Amino acid sequence: MPITTTRRRLLAGSAAALALPAFARAQGAVKPRLTAISQWSAGSDGAAITALGKKFEEKGGIWQHSPVPGFTTEMMNKLRAQIMAGDPPACSQLKGPEIAAWSKIAPTVDLDAVVAAAGYEKVVAPDLAKLHKPAGKWIALPLQVYSTNMLFLSKRAMDKAKADKIPVTWADFNELAEKMKAGGVASPIANGGTRPDDGQKFEAALAGISPLAYRAAIMNLEKKALAGPEIKAAFAQVRRIADWMDPNVGAQHFSTNLKRFVDGDMGMMIMGGWAQGVLRNAGFKFEDFTIAPGPTDNGKPVFLLNADAFIFWQRKEADLQAGQTLMAQLVMDPAIQTMYSQITGSIPVRTDVDLSGEGWSEGQRTTSAALKSAIASNQALLSMAHNMAQENGMTAAMIDVITEYVKDKTIKPEQAATRLAEAVEGAR
Amino acid sequence: MTNAVSIRPDRPALPEWVRRLPEYLMIWVPLLLSAAHLVSFSLWTIWISFTPSTLVPVSGWVGLRNYSAVAASRNWQIAFDNLLLFGSSFVLLSLVTGLALAILLDQRIRGENVLRSIFLYPLAVSFVVTGTVWSWLLNPGLGIQKLVHDLGWTSFKFDWLIDRDMAIWTIVIAAIWQSSGFAMALFLAGLRSVDADIIKAAQIDGAGPVRIYRRIILPSLWPITITVVVIQLQFAISTFDLVRALTNGGPGIATQLPALVVYDLMFQRSLLGRGAAAAVLMLLILLAVLLPYAAWRYIQRRRAAHA
Repeated sequence: MPITTTRRRLLAGSAAALALPAFARAQGAVKPRLTAISQWSAGSDGAAITALGKKFEEKGGIWQHSPVPGFTTEMMNKLRAQIMAGDPPACSQLKGPEIAAWSKIAPTVDLDAVVAAAGYEKVVAPDLAKLHKPAGKWIALPLQVYSTNMLFLSKRAMDKAKADKIPVTWADFNELAEKMKAGGVASPIANGGTRPDDGQKFEAALAGISPLAYRAAIMNLEKKALAGPEIKAAFAQVRRIADWMDPNVGAQHFSTNLKRFVDGDMGMMIMGGWAQGVLRNAGFKFEDFTIAPGPTDNGKPVFLLNADAFIFWQRKEADLQAGQTLMAQLVMDPAIQTMYSQITGSIPVRTDVDLSGEGWSEGQRTTSAALKSAIASNQALLSMAHNMAQENGMTAAMIDVITEYVKDKTIKPEQAATRLAEAVEGAR
Repeated sequence: MTNAVSIRPDRPALPEWVRRLPEYLMIWVPLLLSAAHLVSFSLWTIWISFTPSTLVPVSGWVGLRNYSAVAASRNWQIAFDNLLLFGSSFVLLSLVTGLALAILLDQRIRGENVLRSIFLYPLAVSFVVTGTVWSWLLNPGLGIQKLVHDLGWTSFKFDWLIDRDMAIWTIVIAAIWQSSGFAMALFLAGLRSVDADIIKAAQIDGAGPVRIYRRIILPSLWPITITVVVIQLQFAISTFDLVRALTNGGPGIATQLPALVVYDLMFQRSLLGRGAAAAVLMLLILLAVLLPYAAWRYIQRRRAAHA
């Protein structure tokens, strides 16, 4: 494996050199330098990007990363200011359809040659690849992948329900929740009360009921699909989920309730793969919980993609251009992706990385298998709740409806479906 | 030249404007700078609100489209209704609480300084802290309700924080806790400034304490009441951090307020034009409060000059 990696990298390097004479000249003459901004400052995210920076320096580069702690939107405010001042970073964190939106306000780097040299396109989920080449050319590179619809099962809650079968369909899921309730689990669904949290419940329900309807309604915003029966069915499923939640969570973060989840006071959690890292950081053991793909009525895993990425902004300086090429090569490198995902708990973007070795958890292996299966059955979709399916404005308009529905039990599924369609129209 | 001979103590005074130059510099430079900031950015925001700006400001003209989009959105409608409810009840209740505290403190009681500090103390706490602490206190599973349940009253229910219809009142409660001390301080100063001779005269005439308060002291607090109302109202209109920490606009979008909508549109949804339109609408609401106040002040001054 290491030998192939090196050979591939060598190949990538030489092909890039042939294809990009300007870059190649720059690389030969100057020390590559990279200015980068991201929100990753602390915790496993901070550790992972610091490790990436070390690798960059090992290759002879100068690493200048300025983290903007807080929400992604705060990083975006800095990016906006830098772009408007005519001084964008050589590379910045950005993801999903925002890549297309932001690429219209400032020139980006054409990465086609570097990507082709690395043979990267073949090993990336097709819908994910599309996001990173909005006008047909690669301008951004995904770095790591999470699924937003993983199902976490509390071991102790399963014991209380005397159940050992992992639910596959929504019917199984509902049955298990009832069993848990009967077995004395106070709230069969563990959750937080934030906006993305509510959004995730809905997207998991709809994608599980019908991946086709999800693609048409949420990703393509087709009017007919938005008025379809699957949307109503998804809202009905969300209502059942909401009824099993602890009403007292208010606007809390999901991590607040992890102890109750592990203790079996709460039973199941529909959450992104990152929850595994949070559970482990909180000191809980792998035996405390099981991770499975979210319920799907056709029995095959649906994978709701959330992927962090880097976008590359055009710079005239030769050293920055050389730095961009080096960074692009590093981000696509399987060894680097392995290192990164092992720190953060995500899975690599590349579907050809082998996760059977040491350093990977059972949850990561399950997630990776789910992604492969989902790509094969065309069920790898883009997450709405985490801003992958639509731009921020559209996502926020949809989540307004969903979060109100989750918290207001007097709204009927039909009403919610109508409101969702109206919200989409209003935000177009 | 004159300086050379003017060592005498009675040297001629410098021209008036030179003598006052430091004063002018002290006042006018900062005033102009802040006015330029305020006015130019307000004008800039107004301009943006008429453009199709999204991620970054762009030129172009869309007329009132941003305004109609904001006004038609559910978020803004809820925010506006909440503002009316929150603004009026918060101002009224903090006024009543502040006045009651001030009157009680005015009874020449022992430990007044300590009590006054205690009531004023919340004002020194950041709104984010207030919001976070109250979000714990009011959470049914953690705070007051759980405490009363644990004490034995298991039928006790206090779950306003997660009740869509009552959640806005939790913000009122936290805001009053934070700022009624401020109203109290102003009222107390007002109470203390009432002429003691008039009160003594009333006492000699046989007026009881209730009557003295009703007929003499409270009417003289009128100007302070107006000041308190205006200050609290502009606080209510621009409330942001308190809601963000306490409910974050939830449950659902039940406790949205205009300032949250502006932030959300501009920085979460990247719709600069619509966010600017919402900000201008907020400015108009503020003017609706401040202009009558300015007019009232003007009339008062005119009257005082004539008297």
